[in-house]
Amino acid sequence: MNEHVKSAALAERKVSAKMSDCVEIEFRAVTKLYGALAAVKDLSLSVRRGEFLTILGPSGSGKTTALMLLAGFVAPTSGDIVISGRSVASVPSYRRDQGIVFQSYALFPHLSVRRNLEFPLEMRGVKAANRANQVGRMLDRVHLADYADRMPSQLSGGQQQRVALARALIADPPFLLLDEPLGALDRKLREQMQIEIKSMHREFGKTTICVTHDQEEALSLSDRIVVMRAGRIEQTDTPEALYDRPATRFVATFLGEANLFEHSEFELRTDLDQPPNTVAIIRPERVRIAAPTAPTCPDQHLRQAVSGTVEDMIYAGPLRRYQVRVGRSTVVVREHVASGQKIFYPGEAVRLDWLRSDLRIVAE
Amino acid sequence: MLQKLTRAPFGLTLPSFTLLLMVFGVPITSLLFMSLNAPDWSFVNYQRFLSQSANIYVLLQTIEISIGATAICLVIGYPTAYLIVTAPERQRTVFIVLVLIPWLTSGLVRTYAWTVILGDHGLINNVLVASGLASSPVPLIYNRFAVFVGMVHIMLPMMILPLLSVMYNIDKSLVAAARSMGARPFTAFWRVFLPLSLPGVRSGSLLVFVGCLGFYITPQALGGLRETMLSKLIVNQLLVSANLGATAATAFVLLAVTAVVLSIFGLDLSGSRERVRGAVGTKRRSWLSAQGAMGRWFNELGTSWRASRWQRQLYRAAAQVRWVEFAGAGFMTVVMVYLLVPGLIVIIMSFSAGDFIEFPPSAFSLRWYVAFFEDSTWTTSLSNSVEVAIDVALLATATGTLAAYGLGRMSPQSRSILTMMILMPITFPVVIVGVAAYYGLFHLHLIGTKTGLVLAHSIGANAYVVVIVAATLANFDRRLEQAAMSMRAGPLRTFWRVTLPLIRPGILGGAVFAFIASFDEAVVTSMISGYSIRTLPLRMLENVTQQIDPSIAAVGSLLTLLPVLWLFVLYVLYWRSRGKPQRAHAQAEA
Ligand SMILES: Nc1ncnc2c1ncn2[C@@H]1O[C@H](COP(=O)(O)OP(=O)(O)OP(=O)(O)O)[C@@H](O)[C@H]1O
Ligand SMILES: [Mg+2]
Repeated sequence: MNEHVKSAALAERKVSAKMSDCVEIEFRAVTKLYGALAAVKDLSLSVRRGEFLTILGPSGSGKTTALMLLAGFVAPTSGDIVISGRSVASVPSYRRDQGIVFQSYALFPHLSVRRNLEFPLEMRGVKAANRANQVGRMLDRVHLADYADRMPSQLSGGQQQRVALARALIADPPFLLLDEPLGALDRKLREQMQIEIKSMHREFGKTTICVTHDQEEALSLSDRIVVMRAGRIEQTDTPEALYDRPATRFVATFLGEANLFEHSEFELRTDLDQPPNTVAIIRPERVRIAAPTAPTCPDQHLRQAVSGTVEDMIYAGPLRRYQVRVGRSTVVVREHVASGQKIFYPGEAVRLDWLRSDLRIVAE
Repeated sequence: MLQKLTRAPFGLTLPSFTLLLMVFGVPITSLLFMSLNAPDWSFVNYQRFLSQSANIYVLLQTIEISIGATAICLVIGYPTAYLIVTAPERQRTVFIVLVLIPWLTSGLVRTYAWTVILGDHGLINNVLVASGLASSPVPLIYNRFAVFVGMVHIMLPMMILPLLSVMYNIDKSLVAAARSMGARPFTAFWRVFLPLSLPGVRSGSLLVFVGCLGFYITPQALGGLRETMLSKLIVNQLLVSANLGATAATAFVLLAVTAVVLSIFGLDLSGSRERVRGAVGTKRRSWLSAQGAMGRWFNELGTSWRASRWQRQLYRAAAQVRWVEFAGAGFMTVVMVYLLVPGLIVIIMSFSAGDFIEFPPSAFSLRWYVAFFEDSTWTTSLSNSVEVAIDVALLATATGTLAAYGLGRMSPQSRSILTMMILMPITFPVVIVGVAAYYGLFHLHLIGTKTGLVLAHSIGANAYVVVIVAATLANFDRRLEQAAMSMRAGPLRTFWRVTLPLIRPGILGGAVFAFIASFDEAVVTSMISGYSIRTLPLRMLENVTQQIDPSIAAVGSLLTLLPVLWLFVLYVLYWRSRGKPQRAHAQAEA
């Protein structure tokens, strides 16, 4: 019986997986020039139905431009954008079907929460009675039923954010665009809203494209992340793959922390051969720190060990972060705090070691 | 579709430009040709003008009076603005309202008030003679002194408002920083505050100077025949002589003087401004910089509107010495008395019960108001004025709002050039606008018609509306429009449902100013109306110097009380609507 339910669920997931294989949105070699500056350059990207895709990149890398191109507020200089198999390059934004959450929410300040939510329905010609119904349901969903008649200015930042999200979703658009949706919120609220957005994504199953420069947000929300740099895509992958197997040095350092072995004085022993113009990296949490005299592990033949001196130690809640000088370079080590652990202080000699298979080779 | 969208901004300015070209642009161009004797091309008209010493005398006198009045305005206006800016919040608001009231009051009424005060049988002389301080009336009127008193009185708010707007935006921490580095109060003022306030000095001076150049009613009423201004000469020529070429030449001499003096004056102080702009990172195209001085001149007008952002907290000079405070208070009292008492006197006089104008009245009554409303010549002129002003407000608000909306969507370069052109009717000396409008409407057979008056008033009113609505649009978040469009609202519905409701205060404010501008207009009106349509200002103008009909006091009082009403309207429109976003802001930050 239990087995039966399980297999049914499995089958269902397989079907939906197949469905989600269809491409909903496609950028085809899109370039947007502002004068001589290419805000977006030769961008090609496919987004699958139901996917939560995040565009991540430093300031000025062209994220907003990419989103505005998709929304139809900016026309591409060259290339094409295809939505559900139809080119939309010449379709004005108001003829497209999409929900957008703007960075500063863009709630209409002269309309109440209810009227804000009604707006997209009204524009689609939904009858008043149906509108009231839908708005009521949506307000319940975002826990704002008591605030329906407030003006946006009378809401807190988090509440405004939820109204914006509700307004983008209420007319059931095929996909959702979020521009730095949590940028204006404080850390605590941001975490709450991440969970909220995630659960709404699960519930409504909308294809979502989210722009952010917050890597934590990208990692926790997305099915896939696109890392952009200077108008180009640097790498596209799942959060785990992106963190574990960054393709370039930029991705490795932009997403989390990485030790780069560029001009190391010790001979780096890897299982892989390193082509030119690449650099070997290792994540700080993959490096083990121990006293020089500590007994070695049984898997020592798979590891490389170097000795160094502790330069700095920072205690950061669940983690301890060491900065260790090895010859002329500095290696960062992150260790989970556990009881009975030996703590090393600046000036102490230590031995570092890591699994050779944990080294990654990335392009410069 | 995209092409249509990018071309639309220019389309939106079309109604404004049709109006502008028809009433101002085309006629002034053909007047220029005419003054140059086209198609024969010669400077005959100019030579004739310059060959008459009387003309040269008037020209020099015009410059002299304008510079004098500007200097006096600066000397009085700068300390006034400084004291207002450093006053505590509540006093500051009161002072600003007190400066705004005379600014919104009809210049004609204020001129009338001064004839009552300074006249040979006016208030001051009555007191002097009655008290035996003078045996016969002292000549206070019909001389240069009276001209300055009257002109400065009218132009002073135009000096104070731009100064205020610049002084408000001076970072208070800069002065504090200078003080912390050991600068004494006066040094801090001299080395930090004054240089930073120079753009305001420039704006205010330019506005006042150009305003003075176009004056003729006040100098005529208070200065008599000797104090003729070039603008008076132009009006006389236009109405008396048939030689339009000669009139046009005189007008272009005045325009040339304006341009020359302004470019010298503009260049002088522009250095500091350019540096400030450079630091902010505003790029200016090189081909524009030739017209830069002109362009800045056209942009000055916006400054006085920006003055309305006075919510800013300001630096109050700490540790003021007592006597400085007393001196400041005394100075402010004198300035405020100067600005406000003439209007008050007119209001009080209008309630007099006597058979002729007297101050203070021995008894009070409403008889002159009754007389006003029973005299059909007064009521006809009142209804003419109201009718024209309403039409102007409707027309100019429509064209100006569309233009402002279109301008906001253009590239900065085209925007600045087109704005410059749209603002010409309020940046050129008014008499030149009058000559051009006269010529343009003459060809359309609209002289002496209400339509003609409405069109002539609308070009200036349109400019006011553009300035005010553009300022409102600058604070408008364009993302709200994008949001509406992303919800399938087309451009028209987006404008109607989102943009319009949010910029409505600006539009209504623009309409109010368009109404005031038309309702008070006397110079252009006197040239266009062809004696057949009498508006209230024209009817007043006939009576200003004579003081025969005491009803004029009642009219003046009505016109003085009107601005208070307007201020109230503006208060309701602006402050109340502004309160909300501010609260939102505070909450978002909390
Ligand atoms: N309207 C515009 N005109 C000219 N240049 C522009 C315009 N919009 C964007 N740019 C330029 O294009 C580049 C990319 O801008 P974009 O706003 O897409 O960056 P972003 O990744 O969203 O940055 P941020 O994280 O700071 O928001 C920037 O160099 C920017 O200066
Ligand atoms: Mg951005």
